[in-house]
Amino acid sequence: MGLCMHLFDRAFRFVLPAGGVAVLLTVLAVGWFTQPDRFAKGYAPEQPIPFSHELHAGTLRMQCQYCHSGVDKSRVAGIPSVDLCMGCHKVTRTDRPAIQKLTQMANSGQPLLWQRVHTLPDHVYFDHRPHVNAGITCQSCHGEVQTMKVLTREMGMRMGNCLACHRDPHAALPAGSKITRGAENCAACHR
Amino acid sequence: MKTRLPEHGPLETPRFWRTLEERIETPEAQQAAHDEFLPGAIPPSFNMGPDYNDVHGLPPQSGVSRRDFLGLVSAAAALAATVACDRKGQGTVVPYTKRPVEVIPGVANYYASAHQEGRRVYPVLVKTREGRPIHLTGNDEHPGVKGKTSPRTMADVLRLYDPDRLRAPKASGRVVSWAEAEGHLHAALTGAKAAGKPVLLISGAVASPSRKALLADLKTALPTLEHLAYEPAAGDAVEVAALASFGQAVDLQPRLAKAKVILSLGADFLNGEDPEALGAWGAKRRLKSAQESINRLWVLEGPLTLTGTNADERVPVSPSRLGAMAFALAKELAGKGVALPAGTDLSGVSTGAPAEIPQATWASLVKDLKAAGRQAVVLCGAQMPAEVHQAAHLLNAMLGSEAVAAIPAEPLATVKELETAVQGMAAGRFAAVLFWDVNPAYTFPQAAAWKDAVAKVPVRAWIGQVEDETAAQCQLLLPENHWLESWGDFSTPSAAVLQQPTIGTLYDTRQGEDVLLDVLKALGAAVPDGYHAYLQARWKKELPFGTSFEQALHDGLVKGEAKASAPSFKGASVAAAAKRAAASRAEGLELVLFPGFATHDGRHANNSWLQETPDPISKMTWDNPVAVSVQDAKALGIEEGDLVNLSLDGITLKLPAVIQPGQAQGVLALALGYGRTTGGVAKGMGVNAFPLVGLEPASTHVRSGARLAKAGGKKTLSRTQSHHRMEGRDLVRSLTMDEFAHDPQGHHHRPELVTLYEEQRFPDHKWGMVIDLAACVGCSACMVACQSENNVATVGPEQVARGREMHWIRIDRYYEGELENPKVVHQPMLCQHCDNAPCENVCPVNATNHSAEGLNQMAYNRCVGTRYCANNCPYKVRRFNFLEYTAFKTEPETLVYNPEVTVRPRGIMEKCSFCVQRINDGKIRAKGEGRAILDGEITTACMAGCPSDAIVFGDLKDPKSKVSQLVAATRAYRVLEELGVKPAITYLADLKNPALEGGHHEA
Repeated sequence: MGLCMHLFDRAFRFVLPAGGVAVLLTVLAVGWFTQPDRFAKGYAPEQPIPFSHELHAGTLRMQCQYCHSGVDKSRVAGIPSVDLCMGCHKVTRTDRPAIQKLTQMANSGQPLLWQRVHTLPDHVYFDHRPHVNAGITCQSCHGEVQTMKVLTREMGMRMGNCLACHRDPHAALPAGSKITRGAENCAACHR
Repeated sequence: MKTRLPEHGPLETPRFWRTLEERIETPEAQQAAHDEFLPGAIPPSFNMGPDYNDVHGLPPQSGVSRRDFLGLVSAAAALAATVACDRKGQGTVVPYTKRPVEVIPGVANYYASAHQEGRRVYPVLVKTREGRPIHLTGNDEHPGVKGKTSPRTMADVLRLYDPDRLRAPKASGRVVSWAEAEGHLHAALTGAKAAGKPVLLISGAVASPSRKALLADLKTALPTLEHLAYEPAAGDAVEVAALASFGQAVDLQPRLAKAKVILSLGADFLNGEDPEALGAWGAKRRLKSAQESINRLWVLEGPLTLTGTNADERVPVSPSRLGAMAFALAKELAGKGVALPAGTDLSGVSTGAPAEIPQATWASLVKDLKAAGRQAVVLCGAQMPAEVHQAAHLLNAMLGSEAVAAIPAEPLATVKELETAVQGMAAGRFAAVLFWDVNPAYTFPQAAAWKDAVAKVPVRAWIGQVEDETAAQCQLLLPENHWLESWGDFSTPSAAVLQQPTIGTLYDTRQGEDVLLDVLKALGAAVPDGYHAYLQARWKKELPFGTSFEQALHDGLVKGEAKASAPSFKGASVAAAAKRAAASRAEGLELVLFPGFATHDGRHANNSWLQETPDPISKMTWDNPVAVSVQDAKALGIEEGDLVNLSLDGITLKLPAVIQPGQAQGVLALALGYGRTTGGVAKGMGVNAFPLVGLEPASTHVRSGARLAKAGGKKTLSRTQSHHRMEGRDLVRSLTMDEFAHDPQGHHHRPELVTLYEEQRFPDHKWGMVIDLAACVGCSACMVACQSENNVATVGPEQVARGREMHWIRIDRYYEGELENPKVVHQPMLCQHCDNAPCENVCPVNATNHSAEGLNQMAYNRCVGTRYCANNCPYKVRRFNFLEYTAFKTEPETLVYNPEVTVRPRGIMEKCSFCVQRINDGKIRAKGEGRAILDGEITTACMAGCPSDAIVFGDLKDPKSKVSQLVAATRAYRVLEELGVKPAITYLADLKNPALEGGHHEA
């Protein structure tokens, strides 16, 4: 009898609280690990060419579409080809080591391996065209790119991000837009 | 607690023992204690070998032990956890260094090109993504094919990415440079020229004017060159008969738009090979009302062909009797006042109806042909004996038929000429032999004689793509470009067609013409540098004023080619042919050898898309069983799948048999193009039937005297449809013209549907489809188009036998009536996108649900693979990835994928999406241009691929759309409508125009 009481006592005083704490810690840990934006936000990998969006899009006020010209024609906005950079940099800032590296790539045809900053989860077929054509600015998803010296990810780009805007797109749309909702059916993005 | 065992010396004798062996400690017993699973514990039949035998329907065992399996699972879990916790990079994104001006990443580019198969030329439009060809359709600017092409052409994009392709030249089994390989060839040819010794070149049919010019140049530079253009599946009788009737080689092309009455003598012109014929057929059959005119198809044939299944009146007859019947028909018509061509002598032909054909049918046929006159046409199957062809030529000449065009063609070599070449080779006549895109080691009937003869030629060179049976007999292997990597031109009756490369060469390959140009150079001829320049130089001279070569390449064609005068029929040839026809009798069983639907003459055998596309009649995949008539099967006691010995002329093939309803008694049918011994896909699939091809050109493919005997044993048939009945339900409906005129819905009534569910609402669009069964011939072009567009996996024969094929669209073939000569209806079956879809409400994870546009959508990443949906689907169109069919694939195979569609992994359900990627793209384009979607702008792959335009897709919310109007047609019905699932696909009942009862009598 005494032994039995002792076992109960130990269960109540030690095993149960410890178990509870363990479960709580697991839930918190899993939650923290899997939170949508944990890896996404603030992701700013080092790039092979230290290209500054702040300079090009901010100070020089170049249009996003000058380089990302596919954005209103294709599903993907596209990364500019090296020869597009060389359009200006044949004569501009040719003293910089990065530009010399770029020139060498353009001449040799060696591929320029940019580190991808923005990605979507698997099984998603996002299309830039309807978003840009509806007047949604690039910054709505990509952040204030024109202020970024190093391109940094601002949004998790999870399904929650998509649906939040598709259900209430007013904030992203220009004033006077007639659009009230975005598509919410699976096949709009998954196929 | 551990028991310490002595390190040396014997163990203590155990106290308890179960067996004597254990007690006396034989080495076997010690080993047995060590191995839990003895060799043989797993039945050897689990090895998936050729004799693989299913046990209890279990999946094949991999041979991994439980312990290994658990170890791997925990290692995988640990690895997955580690990877998930890593702040991983997102990979790289690589832009072009120099972007080609015409390429926008993510946007498809289309180029016009052309494909050749035998004498047939297919002008195509090639869809490329980021420089990769991924999908083929017909060139819509070509006046003949009007945007359609054949299933085999569509599937040929897969051959570009065939991993078996030879990637660099080889000399005597060693990989060498082009310079060295060509050096050997040039040395041999210059030596032959100097010595005046003949050189043999064997190629396929020459349909290209520039290739013809090049071969002429080669003949000038190398006068000892002997060229044979050989097409093993073309049927030599065509050549023999054309020579007799017209004095030259001709290509007879049907012009069905002009035909009211068509008589087919074993001709399978609706088998998908001829998109032009199918287009014209569809146009004559898609009737809105019974007042419109319809054609009538009479078919006299031995085996049941696709054309036979579409016949209005069909009589199964033995092919050897066809000639006599056709001449009797000519005599009957002549007796009724139809003028015979000059010099025609039909005195030897007996009068009256042949015994095989009922009197009433015969009279009706004669009446029909006479009434239609110039609008009647008689077509003869390429495999039929020469006298049948000649009879068809005579009948067309008598009727003055407008519905067939006789186009002068380049002559083809017959098997006789090949046999002469074999004798020449055996006698050491040739200094060198060059095989260009042909495989005679496989297709020549006497393979052993061929092998011995070829070995006697000192220099043997081969130009081709995948090392084949012929390549194995050659020292010099020159890898060739795929046609999507090559330049070329072809002549078609309505336009000259240009072929341009749509991708750079994937490997160190060259096109055959370039190799020949180098030969010309080595022989001292002055030729342009490369075939592109050669082609351009020729075309600069020939192009009409104001057309640039670039414009012609863009269009893929130059319209309005000068018409060659039609050759005239020689009446004097008839008497001999009629005599032969009268004497023709089948002894024993009569074997008809026909080109495989998927493999043709074997050239497509390494294409898994085609191998898995079921034969439209037998629904067999990956195999060529011999088809036996119902009567013969009964007499011989043969059941479906029985292994039989098929013997002819001392050759015996052991192969499975299938029983074919509608096949004439005494006739056997066997497809060519199987039983290859090379190629990763082709090897070992089916048996090679070429050894049974005859050496008498007048009748190479119809052979009498065959014997069939049960060989004992059975083979599991990889068939996609073994159940042929509708179980009393009206899944397909077929109307005669009388019924169409008076009572199109017949005894069928629209069920009154009661539902508990709320009516679905579709605010913007409601996508729907109409399939006209009267226009559908069952050619399976839609299946291949879908496979290419939607990255549909192939699963192999074992999985097909278990019903695990992955096709999103299939063609159900239903027989009706008596077994000996049934009526047949083909029905394309795909996801019906039901409004009240039964699959949707059983999915436990809501992976399949309905969109606001009426699509039954499938979210792969949500699917957990319970397969409840497939169980609950009344149409059985959902496909489950039972095994991993895709993940192990690497380049080049993955390059063929459409990047707009997910490649599905194991454990996922999939099905037709109505090509949602095309719908989304069309919607986005229209929105970007600020306009509404145009009707017909969005096409599904099956609709775009359908050569007879039987499939129409569109928006049912738009009352003016074609699909909305067709839904209201009198022939319209929905399959299993009584279930209340409200399918989005409407079928239009099949139409038959019989001559005897229920037909359109004014036809």
